Amino acid sequence: MDLMLFAPEITMVVTGLAVLLIGLFLPVESKKVLGYLASLGILIALYFTVASLGTNALAFYDTLSVDALSQFFKIVFLVVTLLFSIAAIKYTEGSKNTEEFYVLAIFATIGMMFVASANDLMVLFVAFELASISTYTLSGFEKNNPQSLEASIKYFLIGSLSAALMLFGITFLYGVTGTTSIPGIAAGAAALAASPIGILAVVLLIAGFGFKIALVPFHMWAPDTYQGSPSLVSSLLAAGSKKMGIVAAFKVFIVALIALKVEWQIAFAVLAVITMTVGNAAALSQTSVKRMLAYSSLAQAGYITMAFVVLTPMALGGGILYALSHGFMKAGAFIVTAAVVYMVLSENKDAQNPDHIDNFRGLGRRMPVTALSMTIFVFALAGIPLTAGYMSKFVLFSSTIQAGFAWLAVIAILNSALSLYYYAKIVKYMYFLPTEGTKVSEPLPYTLALVVAVAGVLAIGFWPEPFIYWAMEAAKVLLAGGM
Amino acid sequence: MLLSMIVLIPLIFAVLTLLTKTRAQARALALVSSVAVLLLTIYTYFMFDSTSAATQFEEMYTWVPSLGISYNLGIDGISLPLILLNAIVIPLLILFTWNDEKHAPNRFYSLILITQGAVLGVFCALDFFLFYVFWELTLIPLFFMVSMWGGPKKHYASIKFFIYTHVASLVMLLGIFGLYFAAWNNTGTPSLNIPYLLSQFQFIGSGMTRDLIFLALLFGFIVKLPVFPFHSWLPDAYTEAPTAGSVLFVLLKIGGYGIFKIMLPLLPFTASPNLMITIMGALGAVSVLYGAFLALAQQDMKRMVAYSSLSHMGYVTLGAAGLVSLSVSGAMFQQFSHGLIMSIMFMACGVINNATGTRIMNELGGLAQRMPKLAVIMVLAFMASLGLPGLTGFIAEFSVLSGSFVNLQGYVVIALMAIVITGAYHLWALQRSMFGVYKEKLGNVVDINGYQTFAMGLIAILIVYFGLNPSPVLDMMLTNSEYLVGLMAGMGV
Repeated sequence: MDLMLFAPEITMVVTGLAVLLIGLFLPVESKKVLGYLASLGILIALYFTVASLGTNALAFYDTLSVDALSQFFKIVFLVVTLLFSIAAIKYTEGSKNTEEFYVLAIFATIGMMFVASANDLMVLFVAFELASISTYTLSGFEKNNPQSLEASIKYFLIGSLSAALMLFGITFLYGVTGTTSIPGIAAGAAALAASPIGILAVVLLIAGFGFKIALVPFHMWAPDTYQGSPSLVSSLLAAGSKKMGIVAAFKVFIVALIALKVEWQIAFAVLAVITMTVGNAAALSQTSVKRMLAYSSLAQAGYITMAFVVLTPMALGGGILYALSHGFMKAGAFIVTAAVVYMVLSENKDAQNPDHIDNFRGLGRRMPVTALSMTIFVFALAGIPLTAGYMSKFVLFSSTIQAGFAWLAVIAILNSALSLYYYAKIVKYMYFLPTEGTKVSEPLPYTLALVVAVAGVLAIGFWPEPFIYWAMEAAKVLLAGGM
Repeated sequence: MLLSMIVLIPLIFAVLTLLTKTRAQARALALVSSVAVLLLTIYTYFMFDSTSAATQFEEMYTWVPSLGISYNLGIDGISLPLILLNAIVIPLLILFTWNDEKHAPNRFYSLILITQGAVLGVFCALDFFLFYVFWELTLIPLFFMVSMWGGPKKHYASIKFFIYTHVASLVMLLGIFGLYFAAWNNTGTPSLNIPYLLSQFQFIGSGMTRDLIFLALLFGFIVKLPVFPFHSWLPDAYTEAPTAGSVLFVLLKIGGYGIFKIMLPLLPFTASPNLMITIMGALGAVSVLYGAFLALAQQDMKRMVAYSSLSHMGYVTLGAAGLVSLSVSGAMFQQFSHGLIMSIMFMACGVINNATGTRIMNELGGLAQRMPKLAVIMVLAFMASLGLPGLTGFIAEFSVLSGSFVNLQGYVVIALMAIVITGAYHLWALQRSMFGVYKEKLGNVVDINGYQTFAMGLIAILIVYFGLNPSPVLDMMLTNSEYLVGLMAGMGV
């Protein structure tokens, strides 16, 4: 077995431990170094992951697999964490808990990366929990802020419940097929399909993953948690952790449970439609930008869920590409919010609701780069051409039509049009409404993270060929495993 | 490379203009860019073979091979006149705004150039992906244009315009997807090439699918045109936009272009061509009449002009549905002519509003005494708009009405009724605003400045020139309409 297969994970573990240890000996004012160190480590891990695209291997008694699917999602997670850690250099400035912030995020990412590689339900579950527990703690990072604590507790309680449901589902699968290996379950699927326990397992698993992906009606925690957590943590939750739920669901449903396709396909169709509609409709009336982004994130998850319904290589490729695009767009949008919150709090320490949309008034003049990035992110989320969001929607929605689900595509497209209203509202606030505020200097780390995210959004929009190619390769892994 | 330069020069200069600091720099850069585009377009025009309906000056580079997307440009006799119209009016528009005291001039001129690049891109694109990209790109600068420099209801108008036409574009996108996959499933290779997909349409098995694709595409185009009953974004957006924005809206001829370029080649192969002709003919005829009535009822001069635009756009759909080469080429010419005439009319509304502070026609009066230069140009444009022989509007509307009468008598009769009303609201508007006793409470009104006179005067001269000698643009339109009508005749429609 070649340990280099897991070079990205090893790099991340080493980085995490190094940050933790070095942080212990550093005085508060020089803890900035940790941010550079973490970002560098993530960058190296990202390099290893990109370099290993195209390898196909199983490791550790076939419990972990390295293939196009796992590596593609690892890129998604690493990109999001990279943006997170660059922006966090400013956020953690002057905090004595800097190293914890970074370590938790890095360990959460490691968990997500192992989920992407998991080829066995036990590994998948443990990795899932590693990521979840790290993010529960991160949500409550601002321990003097009641909102942050509420977010954390809510997320923790519901997260634990969903983990229990998921585990319950897994036990049924194990009971019927006698194995926890994903290909093993796929092989024993005939037994599952024959017994009512199969359906029970599907229901429990849909509920378990539904919580993580925040599909309506399992979404109640998401708006509160995304709103209450520090903006950067929200970016990690929406752009990273949610994708972990999606890749896990891809593996469990499309690979392991493909024999029960008829049962879960219809469930996902209903969930997709409800999720995107509720998400967009609820986002319309929000005044907290973070909450609005949380609902928009629901809607986006609803679009991605369409891939479960259509199940063609192109649709899955579209869903996977969407996961990457959403990583850039949503992480970017939350980092903008973080920059605005920082600006508001640095002007007035006791400001209430610093992410209120009124604080975005005149942002075009006050923070030109941040405002321009936000414009690009929201237009990308709305699916305006030449952005990553459009390209992903193009592939995903068009494949839906190709597979004969025209009704689903029509609903998705109408939703997409509806979403433009609240996205355009943010742009309106930033550029057209007057403000008393003066121009402020934009913190460099935030700006840097935003520039990277914008570059990603535009790269996928303008030159999608390599991204589509690898997303399709990843989709082939799923379908080859399942059929 | 010629077409790429025509499309990309405005987009590149838009970025440069955005970086300028002063108004003098911004307007100078914008002028340089638009004049460069004009010169290239004139060169293209003289190199163009107007006796051929084939695509010319084609450029092709692979872009996303796995989805069959390519960067593919080319023009024909349908697109070139519209490119010419755009290339002529934009530099004049920049001159027209030369002395305007707008805030953020760098953004203002940059948005004009982005709109120009996007519209020219739509006219040149031969790939549906590229076509849609440019199509949507026209939305964003116009949205900003209205909401940054618009009138009192600018936020409402801009969001309404943005969402309304975006929804229509998405429906159109569904149609494109349908066409794309039907052809993909039939031939096994993905391609978004427009001429190729249009030629594949007839091989789609199910008649229902063909009709749905046709209607989805048609919806996208007629909302943009616009046509009754999908016009309600138009009066708000046209009226609230700043003068330059209104002129850009007028030059946004992409809806009509889509009808000629995409709908007409598909029409004979739909399962029920007669139904489609009825839809287009009826909507067109009703728009002509309904727009004219609404224009008659307006107090605000700019709103009146906006509704008159709706009325005139009805001729485009009507003529296209007429399906004889006279009516189709007349409808194409209507787009060209309407672009010139409406540019002057909106410029005039803007000048009057700036000079007197109002556009309500009853509060105006006798302006011709104080603004003689404006009066001359404006009367000429109004006469062209109501269809006075010898000017461009007459040629277009006469061709549409007489050509369509062959196949669509009933609809032509409806549209004919509008002619009287059209005459009435134009003359009444002139009478109330320009003639009669000068209302002293309007204060000391000054006439248009030299730049404005030049810009409006030159367009007026073109209206007369093309009115007397339309063949420089009409010939190539005729070539293409004969080709389109030939397609129909081949299918026995």
